[in-house]
Amino acid sequence: MSMDIKALVREQAEAWSGVIPPNAVSEELAAGFSSLMAGLSALRGQLAFEDEPSSFEAALQATKEPNP
Amino acid sequence: MNIAVKHASALTALSLTEAAEAVAKGETTAVELAKAALDAIVAGDERVNAFIWLDAETALETAAALDKVPMAERGKLHGVPLAHKDMYYKAGKLSTCGSKIRAEFRPGYTATVIERLEAQGSFALGGLNMAEFAQNATGHNQHYGHCHNPWGLDYCPGGSSSGSGAAVAARFVYAALGSDTGGSIRLPASLCGVTGIKGTQTRVSRHGVMPLSFSADNVGPLARTAKDCARIMAVIAGHDPKDPTSAKEPVPDYEASLDGDLKGLKVGVPKNYFLDDVDPEVMAAFEAMLEVLKGRGATLVPVTIPHIEAVATYGGVVSRVEGATIHAEWMRQRPQDYAVHLNSRLYASMGIPAVVYAEALARRGPILKEIAAVVFSQVDVFVAPTIRCKAPTLLSTDVDAGTPGALDAFNRLSLNTRPINYMGLPSVSAPCGLDSNGMPIGFQVQARPFGEGKALKVADAFQRDTSYHRERPPGFAV
Repeated sequence: MSMDIKALVREQAEAWSGVIPPNAVSEELAAGFSSLMAGLSALRGQLAFEDEPSSFEAALQATKEPNP
Repeated sequence: MNIAVKHASALTALSLTEAAEAVAKGETTAVELAKAALDAIVAGDERVNAFIWLDAETALETAAALDKVPMAERGKLHGVPLAHKDMYYKAGKLSTCGSKIRAEFRPGYTATVIERLEAQGSFALGGLNMAEFAQNATGHNQHYGHCHNPWGLDYCPGGSSSGSGAAVAARFVYAALGSDTGGSIRLPASLCGVTGIKGTQTRVSRHGVMPLSFSADNVGPLARTAKDCARIMAVIAGHDPKDPTSAKEPVPDYEASLDGDLKGLKVGVPKNYFLDDVDPEVMAAFEAMLEVLKGRGATLVPVTIPHIEAVATYGGVVSRVEGATIHAEWMRQRPQDYAVHLNSRLYASMGIPAVVYAEALARRGPILKEIAAVVFSQVDVFVAPTIRCKAPTLLSTDVDAGTPGALDAFNRLSLNTRPINYMGLPSVSAPCGLDSNGMPIGFQVQARPFGEGKALKVADAFQRDTSYHRERPPGFAV
């Protein structure tokens, strides 16, 4: 897959939030999203339909220490 | 050395619980503790830069008033001077959040945790240095000057609660509140050679505390010992009607469980992720720590943490997106008022799509359940090095200075801490050695949700057989 991640982030940040890149480092960080995207891509297929809606607070209760 | 100086040095050498006990027995006073702390700050903070502001006059007035309180009316922390990361609101007092944007911010109300600490007789000396808006792991601050590690002034003290770790290590205060969204209590605890705890997500009220990430922010103490942390957690934990997200779980007497006995306790040692690419010196300290736990009766059990790749990936997404949301207005109006490492992070985080953020949140509960089913069915706690690498220097991690490789070094620090925030587990970091540069190494203990007592018990047992938590940074030994 070939894409300009910097441009993608720039477009999204400006279009949806009205924020423009404040400096060159910000664009470098945006470009670094390629590894995050790869990580997310590797997780595809694991989200079960029944997981939604999911309450994290309920999970904390369900898994809590029995003898605190 | 005159007797007064010798006495002050002995006072600052005490742990928090020892200092509280000394006041309770009439062996010292709040004023004496405050003066000893202020003397240490005057002598050492020019080098460390742990304080953003100091209010000695109010502290001494408060201490004098506390000394007049009848013994029968005194609390668990009576007369003990503290200081907190400069993001805990106290009505009318400065709370800079380590930022230029809030340089003059004086909130109109007080954080619940501050009220609870004061109700037990503690008082604060000032506001501690921190990463700008609690958003870096290193201790850099472009607006108030970088905080320095008392163990080696060129080294990172860790962040974001940099001043909290440094002030406790330098013996300026007996304990300090920090906050932890991706490791911000445990990282400075590890790098500064002190003990710190992040409780279960929702364990401690966040009312009156500067937000960073609604889903992952935690309030907790840094102190010299696990026992000190247990004392403070028992004071600050528990439901707060002003923070509806705080848990209604009863708060146990954490100190009562600290008996040093680990017989029958199963300690998990991760087979995956947490020991990847660990520096050999860090690994040696970690393995020596395991032997101490075995000596106390613990059984070591190798465990595989399920879904750890998902945890590591999603963990960064949640806090980044929520941080960007909170700062969106200032990023539109005054992005130049942030440091480069922060406005660049906030900007980039706005490029993460909502559906990815929602996916990260949706999977959090199911993943926690599976981790509990797989890991905590086999062990009571699991341990890991708090940080995989040796302490880095401030220069090597300075993104704003343009140091080559700084971004990578910056991100490497929180590899082992950030996943724990996503899991929502309680986690204690305690010192377990010094590296060849003389800088502290730490380990972290994780327990089931609301199992803070077990994590503290393991750290306390380790500290009964070791002295790393008692050692002072060389330049700060009076």
